[in-house]
Amino acid sequence: MKVPGVLKGLGVTLRELFEPKVTHLYPDEPYEFPNRLRGSHVLYVDKCIVCNQCANVCPTGAITLGGKPNPDPTKKGKVLDFYEINYEICIFCDLCTEVCPTDAITMAATVEHAAYRRDDLHKDIVWLAENPHNLAHVRKETSRR
Amino acid sequence: MPGVLAGPPNVTTFLWLTVAALVLLSLILLYATYAIYVHRKLLGFMQSRLGPNRVGPYGLLQTIADAVKLLAKESIIPAQVDRPLYHLAPVIAFAPAFLVFLVLPWSSTLRFSDFAVGLLLYIAVSSLTTVGVLMGGWSSNNKWSLIGAMRSVAQMLAYEIPLIVSALGVVVLAGSLNLTDIVEAQRKVWFVFPQIVGFLVFAVAAVAELNRSPFDLSEAESELIGGYLTEYGGMRFALFMLGEYVYLLAMGALATALYFGGWYPLPIGGTLPGLDAVPGWIWFLLKALLLSFVPFWFHATFPRMRIDQLMVFSWKVLLPVSLLNLFATIVYRAFAA
Repeated sequence: MKVPGVLKGLGVTLRELFEPKVTHLYPDEPYEFPNRLRGSHVLYVDKCIVCNQCANVCPTGAITLGGKPNPDPTKKGKVLDFYEINYEICIFCDLCTEVCPTDAITMAATVEHAAYRRDDLHKDIVWLAENPHNLAHVRKETSRR
Repeated sequence: MPGVLAGPPNVTTFLWLTVAALVLLSLILLYATYAIYVHRKLLGFMQSRLGPNRVGPYGLLQTIADAVKLLAKESIIPAQVDRPLYHLAPVIAFAPAFLVFLVLPWSSTLRFSDFAVGLLLYIAVSSLTTVGVLMGGWSSNNKWSLIGAMRSVAQMLAYEIPLIVSALGVVVLAGSLNLTDIVEAQRKVWFVFPQIVGFLVFAVAAVAELNRSPFDLSEAESELIGGYLTEYGGMRFALFMLGEYVYLLAMGALATALYFGGWYPLPIGGTLPGLDAVPGWIWFLLKALLLSFVPFWFHATFPRMRIDQLMVFSWKVLLPVSLLNLFATIVYRAFAA
């Protein structure tokens, strides 16, 4: 049936009144972020060979790290002593994870970084190692591909 | 009510009048508070989102929070404004919106007055708001405010005429300007049926008169830099807005009294068991609230009209149609009935 456009429009809005809404109440309801989101870093301390490539490639110089001699005298090389990412200046370019030869640093989908103090944005080795929040999920998706 | 309110001019009557006015004012402010809330909620729902939902349960305290914010805002008055007019304009824009409730009959017994020319008074008083708008635009000492005010006034004047002429059809049928009598004349059948053309014109003109979408040019933000109230802030701005929302209820109530049988529950005479148990003022209020929310529905649906389309529509469509409707009604009244 031919309906005047005015009435048709009114019908659309009236129907929409009772339709489910698209709004996601984000802070109240958890939001599932995309798997490959570059949210923040995850550090595998054991894998790190202290080659310093991530700190060198970082365009903003957000990464500082240092190593110490391996406590086990039978092994060569260094182990990680401290590792810090300054999220005040990190641009989430993903270059550190690209360049890492051992995949010791990777990205996870944790995005909630809001803090009241700037000091809280300097994430240390403990925080970065404990970060894999959504990571198990992300891994599963990537391996399937 | 009229008995108490129309008593001799002594202290008791004065106190009654004051109390009645305060009660009405608080009820109307309550209405305006939640009309704004419902407006935002409806707009949200119709646009597939939730609307206000952070302040209080379901956002019910949102408007109250907004009002507190407006009250707490610094009152900024530009240096070169015409001060008396600048201060008076929001009052003149709001007071008539409150005053028109004087003549509205809420039921056959509950009303503030029983004017023989109630409809005339309503129309005369409600057009005072136009003066407030013009005063606001003029006294702001800002050419854009002045242009905005001119446009608003032109629109309000243009739509006032079809509004009145279409309402005259009802007056001819009822044979009275008294709103109580007009409602009484709809005991058999609501005037919306014989006066359907008149009602459609009335509805369009009323939406335009209320400055609501699609005729909300005076609040068009980007095109008119906020229209006539650019220089108003805080509570003065809120008074203009408050006036608009109060008018919404007043216009809904007027349409109810003119076209939807006031306090009569059924469109065509007679009654059903149980319906009479509900007091008349509830029927009236229900219809008035329902009608006053239709503009929100329009707001969510229609895009804004251009000013020249607006003028052409009023003078070349609505006015001739309403005049024809009036003429046909008079002919019918003179020869058929």
